Amino acid sequence: MASAKPSASRHSILPPISQSGPKPPVTFSSSITISDGAVLTGTNPILISSESVIHPRARLDSMGGTISIGKRCIIHERTRIGDMGSEGRLSLQEGNKAVTLEDYVTVETAAVVEAGDTLLGEGTVVGVGSRIGRGAVVGKYCTITPQSEVPDEARIPDFTVVYGNGMRRQDKRGVSALMNKAQRQQIDVLRRLIPSKPEKFH
Amino acid sequence: MSRRPPKGEYIETDTGNKVARKANLVGTQNIMLGGKTVIQPEAMIRGDLTRLNPPSSTSSSGAAAPGSNTAVSIGRYCFLDRGCCLRPPSRMYRGTFTYLPLRMGDHVYVGPGSVVQAASIGSHVHIGKGVVIGEMTIIKDYTRILDGTVVPPHMVIPSFSIVAGRPARVIGEVPEGGHEAFELRELYKTVGNNPQRAPV
Amino acid sequence: MAPPPLTPYTFIQCPCSDSSPAGPAPASPSGLGSDAEDDDRTFDPRAPRSNYSLHPLEYLMYCEDCHQIRCPRCVAEEIVTYYCPSCLFEIPSSNLKSEGNRCTRSCFQCPICIGPLAVTSLEAPPDPNLLAADNASAPSGPYILACSYCHWSSTEIGIKFDKPNGIYSQLQKVHNGGHPRVTAKDRKDRRKDTISETTVSSEPSSTPATSGPLDTETHFDNLRSFYTHQISDSVSSGPGLSLTDMGVSSPSSLTRLMNLYTVNSLDPSKKPTAASARRSKPTFREAADAEEGLQPADLDESSAIQALRVASWPGTATAEQRGTQEAVRLSNLAEPPLHGRSRLVSELRPIPVLLRTKRSKRCPVCRHIISKPEPKVASTRFRIRLVAGSYIPAIAIRPLNLSSPSLSSPTAAAANGLLQPLKPVQYLLTFTNPIFDPVKVTLATPATVPGRFASKVTVLCPQFDIDANTDVWDEALRAGEAKKRADERLEGLKEDEDVLEIPMFVRVEWEVEAAAEVGTAIGGKETRERRELAYWCVLGVGRISQD
Repeated sequence: MASAKPSASRHSILPPISQSGPKPPVTFSSSITISDGAVLTGTNPILISSESVIHPRARLDSMGGTISIGKRCIIHERTRIGDMGSEGRLSLQEGNKAVTLEDYVTVETAAVVEAGDTLLGEGTVVGVGSRIGRGAVVGKYCTITPQSEVPDEARIPDFTVVYGNGMRRQDKRGVSALMNKAQRQQIDVLRRLIPSKPEKFH
Repeated sequence: MSRRPPKGEYIETDTGNKVARKANLVGTQNIMLGGKTVIQPEAMIRGDLTRLNPPSSTSSSGAAAPGSNTAVSIGRYCFLDRGCCLRPPSRMYRGTFTYLPLRMGDHVYVGPGSVVQAASIGSHVHIGKGVVIGEMTIIKDYTRILDGTVVPPHMVIPSFSIVAGRPARVIGEVPEGGHEAFELRELYKTVGNNPQRAPV
Repeated sequence: MAPPPLTPYTFIQCPCSDSSPAGPAPASPSGLGSDAEDDDRTFDPRAPRSNYSLHPLEYLMYCEDCHQIRCPRCVAEEIVTYYCPSCLFEIPSSNLKSEGNRCTRSCFQCPICIGPLAVTSLEAPPDPNLLAADNASAPSGPYILACSYCHWSSTEIGIKFDKPNGIYSQLQKVHNGGHPRVTAKDRKDRRKDTISETTVSSEPSSTPATSGPLDTETHFDNLRSFYTHQISDSVSSGPGLSLTDMGVSSPSSLTRLMNLYTVNSLDPSKKPTAASARRSKPTFREAADAEEGLQPADLDESSAIQALRVASWPGTATAEQRGTQEAVRLSNLAEPPLHGRSRLVSELRPIPVLLRTKRSKRCPVCRHIISKPEPKVASTRFRIRLVAGSYIPAIAIRPLNLSSPSLSSPTAAAANGLLQPLKPVQYLLTFTNPIFDPVKVTLATPATVPGRFASKVTVLCPQFDIDANTDVWDEALRAGEAKKRADERLEGLKEDEDVLEIPMFVRVEWEVEAAAEVGTAIGGKETRERRELAYWCVLGVGRISQD
């Protein structure tokens, strides 16, 4: 970084991240939006399906296996998908799944989804700063409120809200269709705001 | 601090802002700093998430009138500590998804790793470590938010509140003698390319 | 694992606790540092009472007339403004009596998680991620209350609203499940119709057609009106007594009570018995049916138990949730069966937001106001704010590292955040003078700290001056110039277990312009007046290692 002051001509100050580690093989749908500030690393494939949005400084790590992201997911900044956790466990077998996100999943800022066949069901929202432990299976349309923790290997049924200090309840609003609709709208806006550079990762 | 920072670790502007070169500022043209504000390394501001007025104008005319599309406006003597993140709140407005600006007054401290998506934060506000401020929250002056608090979206926090918990609740009142503790002038001086020692 | 290290702190004792026998004598100690061994005067921070007399400096006020420290426990508070912390509307104090201390607009807390509830159109739920309805430019009802944190919504208790405002009054009119609820006004109207008949033809056996348990307010209302009538009936024939004379001690009350229990009270009906054939005075009787407020306790709990079985664990309200429902009960929004003591999640009601206040404070001795906020809710200014921090020096304490005495990491002794027994530790005390006159400070500590495990304490510099505060707005650039540091070395010694707290007696002296004439002091000859303030404080130094 040599330049002196932030000027109107420069649109961001994003110091480069040391791209340590290998560049993973990626399969992107043509309709995704991925910021060039996102970080993709690892040895296993990363699949991102149509219309999903990857914010800058989101980190997808496929060291522990394949990462597949469904349709219309939103991965916010500073998330760590496929995090190896404190254990740093490495398993380099072929066909291993690290993290699977079904359609309409939102992973909010600074949330962590650990690797190890972890699954987030359709429409699930992982709140800011939450952690989804290794091998957890979160059902459809769950809400993990901010700063919550889903333990390793946990099974969370559909429509569960994890809130407070690990309390759970059922979401009885029945608004999943509305949620999906809102997600589509949000993606429409984000597409116009976040310059997409999928070619950077190929 | 572990090591002496090398010369010029911060970008110091004419108005006295000290922005760490390792800070992540996205969409700087939409970020307004009032002056004398410190942005520490790894702090992130999402200035790119602005309101889209006419749906077509943004991509074509990048730097139209700067400031017209402010996403994040920060007052004077604010201190954004390491790894915090400011992002404009969003909501459905008249049936469409919109980002709205995040406005912050003077002397606002945002602790390490906290994520702020408030609509408005007053002056003299202290946000602790690992706090999450939900979308469209309104935080009034002289408020202290303790470490690890999760403020749910749309919450209104009146002045002189001490807030903690998940979800947040007001747990106390800032005493009359505690107003001066919100001042960040001294803290401002302790960072930058030529930092002064913290007063004892 | 040892308890977490403790950041040094300073607490100051408010003089209001002086009356305690263990407290210091009101007069300042005659001697100075040399007299520190005077154990009679010591102050034990571990005494149970000390918890109530020690305060951080920020919490203390200062009375300019008494020249004394005042604490939150001794000041007298007066409410200036009531307001809702959620909608920030000011509530006139006259409304409080009639409407209670809760927001009666649309501010509610979630009965599940106490998060704020937002009024939303059913077409567009609140969470920004799930709002929708492209065409709903003007969203229309029905409306619900929804929690954006735990995603509870009033649909779970079967309640929807027609209008997006005035939720409180709308909620008063519906039970959980949506069926209408008798409001105070309805009750009054109904009472007007019925009261005339019931008083005449009181057949205790006749149960009203509208059976079912009464809700709390109806119950109370019925009881009150019934007994009001009973009292007035039984008294009206007496010698012109008004209701206000109905105190227990008044002669008429006594006779009435005596009559009540000496006559044949086993028969509560109006029918006069032979013994009570007093001149036409009707017998004071008890409520006999629902209209009169008789509500037999429902001892059959099988249905409640059954409901709990069906609802099972997730459908059962937690103790905390039931606790917060208390507010609902008091604000006339409760569900009937258990008078608000809901056992099931489906019986919970949204909690109206508790109002908050702005308060002014008075000195308990001279009654002068020492703190007065602007009454406006939006304002954060104070008209008067006499805080101790602007009169008495702030005391900061930190470990002193001899090798690099300036600023550095904790001392070797406190390497793991603990104090090692039998090892002297030095601390630096820094006094910051807030006033614009030089101040003379005298310190005294007991030679050994009170408590089970005594530590020796030595103040190396028991007496020193601090220069006047320079102009605060002049940025107070050089801390070393405006505020002089006083080197204090406290040497802890001896074994101990827990937190080491050192009581320290502080005496500050300074000179001010005589306060005799407040306004004219500028022109006149300056007479200097000596001021003195003495108080105990406690220095929390750190935890002592238990190894």
